[in-house]
Amino acid sequence: MNPAVYERARAAAPHAMRPAWRSQAIQLGLALAAAAALAAMIGDLGLKADAFISGLGKLGRLARTMIPPSDGGDLGRIVRALAETFAMAFAGTVIAALAALTPGIIGAKTVVSPPLLHFGFRRMLDVFRGVPALVWALIFVSAFGLGPFGGVLALALADIPSLAKLYAEAIENCDERPMEGLRAAGARPLAVLRLGLLPQVAPVMASQTLYFLESNFRHAAVLGIVGAGGIGFELQERIRTYAFDEMAFIVILYVICVAVLDTISQRVRAKLA
Amino acid sequence: METASAVEAFERLRRTALRRQRLEAALGLAAFTVLLVVAFQRSQFFGANIGGDPLGRILTFLGRMVPDLQAKSLLLGRQQHGSLAWWYYDLPVWLRAGWQTIEMAILATLAGAAAAMVAGFLCARNLMPYAPVRFAVRRTLEVIRTLPELIVALFLVAAFGVGPLAGVITLSLATFGNLGKLFAEINEEVDPRPLEGLDASGAGFLRKIRFGVMPQVLPNYASYALIRLEGNVAAAAALGIVGAGGIGLHLQRAITYTEFDTYFAILLLIVGMIFVIDIASEQIRHRLIGLKAER
Repeated sequence: MNPAVYERARAAAPHAMRPAWRSQAIQLGLALAAAAALAAMIGDLGLKADAFISGLGKLGRLARTMIPPSDGGDLGRIVRALAETFAMAFAGTVIAALAALTPGIIGAKTVVSPPLLHFGFRRMLDVFRGVPALVWALIFVSAFGLGPFGGVLALALADIPSLAKLYAEAIENCDERPMEGLRAAGARPLAVLRLGLLPQVAPVMASQTLYFLESNFRHAAVLGIVGAGGIGFELQERIRTYAFDEMAFIVILYVICVAVLDTISQRVRAKLA
Repeated sequence: METASAVEAFERLRRTALRRQRLEAALGLAAFTVLLVVAFQRSQFFGANIGGDPLGRILTFLGRMVPDLQAKSLLLGRQQHGSLAWWYYDLPVWLRAGWQTIEMAILATLAGAAAAMVAGFLCARNLMPYAPVRFAVRRTLEVIRTLPELIVALFLVAAFGVGPLAGVITLSLATFGNLGKLFAEINEEVDPRPLEGLDASGAGFLRKIRFGVMPQVLPNYASYALIRLEGNVAAAAALGIVGAGGIGLHLQRAITYTEFDTYFAILLLIVGMIFVIDIASEQIRHRLIGLKAER
């Protein structure tokens, strides 16, 4: 459109060619309010640009000491810690899966039909879903002493609400017709569950549990920070003593382990689905 | 004759299939059992150092977390043993720390989402024509996603010192890794026709993004960022444990002084906080999706 035409159009209909000043003002006001709120938050947290810049400089110096990564002469210990982390994740997942079965079944709409009861139960699960495993680990370690026991419990507790919710959804989403057919053929309730429900929900549940095993391996790695054993403990020790070359080595090894576990678990899940 | 042998062949096939299935199931079960035994042994679940009675210990311990509230003094002041104010004796301080935790989560979500937007354009197949750039950005995001937040926080606390700054940077990084991938996926699903129209009218890269992509993707971006904000509040609460600011510090302190009922009080506060954020974010997200449907 050439400028002359544009000018003529603007002269003919000034309002159509300009955004309404009211909406512009509102937008400007909102943007200013958001900026002010952000500035207030930054001020409240005491975040300062010079602290950030000097921190970046220090970060660079620390990062330089990471190269080359070294195993600190005790590879066996690191591998054992990794194995312990996996053991924690596995044990925690199995306990969570078993413990989540009952609440999962109770939480299914098709099992417990009163809406108020169902709603209340599901909301209760929601409430505890937010608590990170670390927060549980902190208290279990202080109650049961240093070591992986508290970590296993923490992982299990953090997973139960989420797994129960997923199990409940799996049960709700399954097809009713096979069970009806079994009932019509005169099967007993247990047989209805075994032959009508289980074949439908077991693969879904197994796949979700495997997914939790993957994520638990990641969570288990940090539990050591509060004293729950495993690779997190080794990492924390290295960071506290500024042995960043060994930290880098452990992190690289850990990232490889995560990738391997994820690949295996994804294969198995693809087969199940 | 013919049918008999066919039946026989079928039976044989069925027997071998069944045998193989059973063998596979048995092998799987055996492997699982071995793994389970080794896992429990390695994680010392039934070890001697906890007295060998894990369930009993858990129950006694949970009992210690429950505060000693008394019905008759429930609403009295904080000096009165057994009142609610006595249980939540430092509520103003905790609320302030809780608000700081939320602030950390909001700032980190914004910073991470802004960086993720750039990364999302750089590794979307339909917007970034140079494959090496896409590959590099994607791998970077992947590595960031693998690193556990707490470990990153520990490292950053060593560099930036104790305080919320390290926490905000940690969460921003994690948000960047997570949202970058999701934003790229959203970008790859946009309708190509507006882009073609802009191409035809000679728009540059930035104009194409501003007028062709942004109007399509912004509601989805906002929705994912809000989901991430919910997760970030929980993560920020945990980060305080390693000294990265927020309410986690008070959890840590309650444990150090073995005030298990205080720990429980703060835990409930965190749970309530996360719950409120979840509900607020759910409302906003539903409205955003509704807005999108109207268009």
